[in-house]
Amino acid sequence: MLADALLRSAGGATALLRVTGTNADTNMSELGLVATTFAEVAISPVLMRKLRPSWKEGDESKWELLMSATSIEQQANSLDLPSAQALFAMTLAVTMAGQDYLIESIAANEAFGQVYLYRLLLREARQQSL
Amino acid sequence: MQNAKDSFYVALRTRLATINPERTILLRGTLRPGILVEEAEAPFSQFPNDVFVLRWPGTAVDTDLASTMVAEQCEVIYQTCGTQSFGGLDRGRALSEMDEELLAMLQPFYTQKLNYTATPPAAMMTHVFWDDPIFAPVVTQRDRLSRSVMVLVYSYEEQGE
Repeated sequence: MLADALLRSAGGATALLRVTGTNADTNMSELGLVATTFAEVAISPVLMRKLRPSWKEGDESKWELLMSATSIEQQANSLDLPSAQALFAMTLAVTMAGQDYLIESIAANEAFGQVYLYRLLLREARQQSL
Repeated sequence: MQNAKDSFYVALRTRLATINPERTILLRGTLRPGILVEEAEAPFSQFPNDVFVLRWPGTAVDTDLASTMVAEQCEVIYQTCGTQSFGGLDRGRALSEMDEELLAMLQPFYTQKLNYTATPPAAMMTHVFWDDPIFAPVVTQRDRLSRSVMVLVYSYEEQGE
């Protein structure tokens, strides 16, 4: 709760996790022949910050997204998922202000045995054709 | 070319389900055999362990034949950290098991070419066939062992492809 208040006071925004729907185990879905169904899961409050630039030619910028653990937990429960990790495992991309980001790694901050913050290392996604 | 790649993957996946039904992966909410095509899934920051990942890095074409022959280079990548119950001390054995499974999956060295854009998949007139696999040396990264295996997959282009 304190982490949520801090995120809000620092300008807490909303991030959308684009999660994949369950596909029937068919040849077509495994070969990229059918479009996967997506749902957007809103997480709030979150805070995004750009990481120290170590930019190389052709590389995308990297960002860190600080996410409220209570919001993640609520969404995982509402989707009937066993854990936050299960929710992240289904997440294809994170959308912030219309820009898509791909998840590079996930870390959790704990206090007294309870996660209060998730830190996602993100990379800007390239533009996909329509 | 795509039909040959699809047929090769589905052949390996079907064979793996028979060879080791316990090698599975939960992907996009579905439990399926532990093999996937990298370019048909969401981008991975790190490949999953104990799963075969297929990548298609190269293509060559021979047009001096009655039918155009295409050779596609398929890289099969897999890695393991061993099992929790052994504290990872069985990672060498786990990798050997995957080596053996891959070798078994590749035999016989051919499969019927199918067009998976049709429902049900339509059998084509030729087969897809491949060479003996070339196993690259094991790469050790602390507690993780990984290997890459190259297979050349051949097919004839048919009318309409």
